[in-house]
Amino acid sequence: MPNVIRLYVRYVEKVSYRVGRFAMYLIFLLMGILLYSSISKTFFVPSLWTLEMAQFTMVAYYILGGPYAMQLDEHVRMDLLYANWSPKTRAAVDAFTVLFLMFYLGMILYGGWGSTEYALKYGERSYSAWAPYMAPLKILICLGVLLMLLQTIAVFFKDIATVLNKEISVVGDAA
Amino acid sequence: MSYEMIAILMFLSMMVMLLTGKRVFGAIGAVAVIAALLLYGDGGGDFGFNATMKLLKWYPLLTLPLFIFMGFMLSESGIADDLYNMFHVWMGPLNGGLAIGTILLMVLISAMNGLSVAGMAIGATIAMPELLRRGYDKIMVTGVIQAGSSLGILVPPSVVLVLYGMIARQPVGKLWLAGAIPGLMMAALFIIYIVIRCKINPSLGPAISQDELKKYSLKDKLKLLQAGIIPLFIFFSMTGLFLMGITSLVESSAVGAVAATLAALFKGRLTKKVIEETTRKSLGVSCMFMWIILAALTFGAVFDGVGAVKAIEGFFIGELGLGPWEILILMQLSFIIMGTFLDDTAMLIIIAPLYIPLVKMLGFDLIWYGVLYTITCQIAYMTPPFGYNLFLMRAMAPPEVSIVDIYRSVIPFVAIMVLSLAIIMLFPQIALWLPNMFYAY
Repeated sequence: MPNVIRLYVRYVEKVSYRVGRFAMYLIFLLMGILLYSSISKTFFVPSLWTLEMAQFTMVAYYILGGPYAMQLDEHVRMDLLYANWSPKTRAAVDAFTVLFLMFYLGMILYGGWGSTEYALKYGERSYSAWAPYMAPLKILICLGVLLMLLQTIAVFFKDIATVLNKEISVVGDAA
Repeated sequence: MSYEMIAILMFLSMMVMLLTGKRVFGAIGAVAVIAALLLYGDGGGDFGFNATMKLLKWYPLLTLPLFIFMGFMLSESGIADDLYNMFHVWMGPLNGGLAIGTILLMVLISAMNGLSVAGMAIGATIAMPELLRRGYDKIMVTGVIQAGSSLGILVPPSVVLVLYGMIARQPVGKLWLAGAIPGLMMAALFIIYIVIRCKINPSLGPAISQDELKKYSLKDKLKLLQAGIIPLFIFFSMTGLFLMGITSLVESSAVGAVAATLAALFKGRLTKKVIEETTRKSLGVSCMFMWIILAALTFGAVFDGVGAVKAIEGFFIGELGLGPWEILILMQLSFIIMGTFLDDTAMLIIIAPLYIPLVKMLGFDLIWYGVLYTITCQIAYMTPPFGYNLFLMRAMAPPEVSIVDIYRSVIPFVAIMVLSLAIIMLFPQIALWLPNMFYAY
């Protein structure tokens, strides 16, 4: 494999890993927000921002965690046929089907770009009493999906490498 | 091309994509965005992103990562070990008693968690090795664990009912209560089945010898019952507070997650390793579900756009000319059949919105239908070739249990579930009595 590709895979995997490890701990933030919400509601004044903040946290959680989950190979497949194939056949089929995944992610990004532009231009706010600006969340989604796309391309390169009997070093949990 | 054709074409291409072993969310999402582009040209470009905004507004889904976290906390920290010991000693002397104890263990875990993952993990890692070591029949044991863990989505709390509640716009509290008695009834049927099997052929589930039991004095035995305090505490802090109206649904799941963590801390099992494993696995499983839901929402939106609801209505009522009950039974059947080939979560989000308006139109109670629907999901979860429970079982079961064993093991239990489905169809009061009592005032 050319050095450029090798470098690309290494860096993208590293970024996905770091971002994913960060996202992983957002679940504690989520718990904290909701716990605060139930306590403040029961004993003090209910707060306006908790539910929406929790929703935003959840979006960050799964969007930013997506690429790392892909590294961990957590996204299920229907393996009726897949399970019986050799690693090489799997890689070859994956290298083809992953193009569809790229297209899907590309389309999310395309829609997200338009929506973010709109949010920035008109200062779009959420329809709620708290009415936060929507742009930061949308930017976050776009960045997360972009990283997912980059990670998918890295997976594509790795599949190609497997088909060609070459290895690309993988960033594991040791990194 | 007619709209029906487009709908069928979309479905078929999704099936083909899934068969290639592509990541499920990718297969569904890709078909959806390609169909949107073909149908609407440039305007179809936003479908993919719009789903993220729709998912954002489905705030009850916040419960999903929290329930997943909680489930892993219960299984990784080994809080369930004590519970297992309790049942082991109390039920062991019976023939097949450990299998019965496993079902009871699963009921308790189901009352603490809204997914089947936790019960599966606990059953496969704690109960299963022990049952096999004691000479229990491996096929029966495999079936017991899968059937028992599927109770997780019927006994409150339940994530599937949360999802259903969002789609059907029904109150989750009522749905949860409606699932309670059918869940317990199904557990009872499982137990009856085990008792009968073991009565006919005691070698399937040998009893614990008297020598071994002598090790435990009555005092020891009573002490083991203390293990039951934790499930009570978690059940009360989560489901209890929610039903009393003190916490909202999403808050209750956070309280539950904290309660499980506190229970682990209290038991001295909250090690660094447990925290790491729990948070990492929670992220992995949550992301898997969320991305599938995201893709399925896109698919559903496109599907809706081509008028699939009308098409299905027209098909069942117009072309087949069926009565309400026949339609209902046919819908359940189609669910089970599709569920064996398609991803279950995706199916929920794509198919349920198509069926629910029809169920409502036919004059059926949507709370009751929610219970039927959940049992059907349970069946879909454990029927080959596609089912999460099967995947998990294969990953977690000891090596001497083969895939064929796993597939064979579910047959009697699926039969029992179909029987329960029929009973609840005939007697809706089994599901509706408790919620109507509770919310009567």
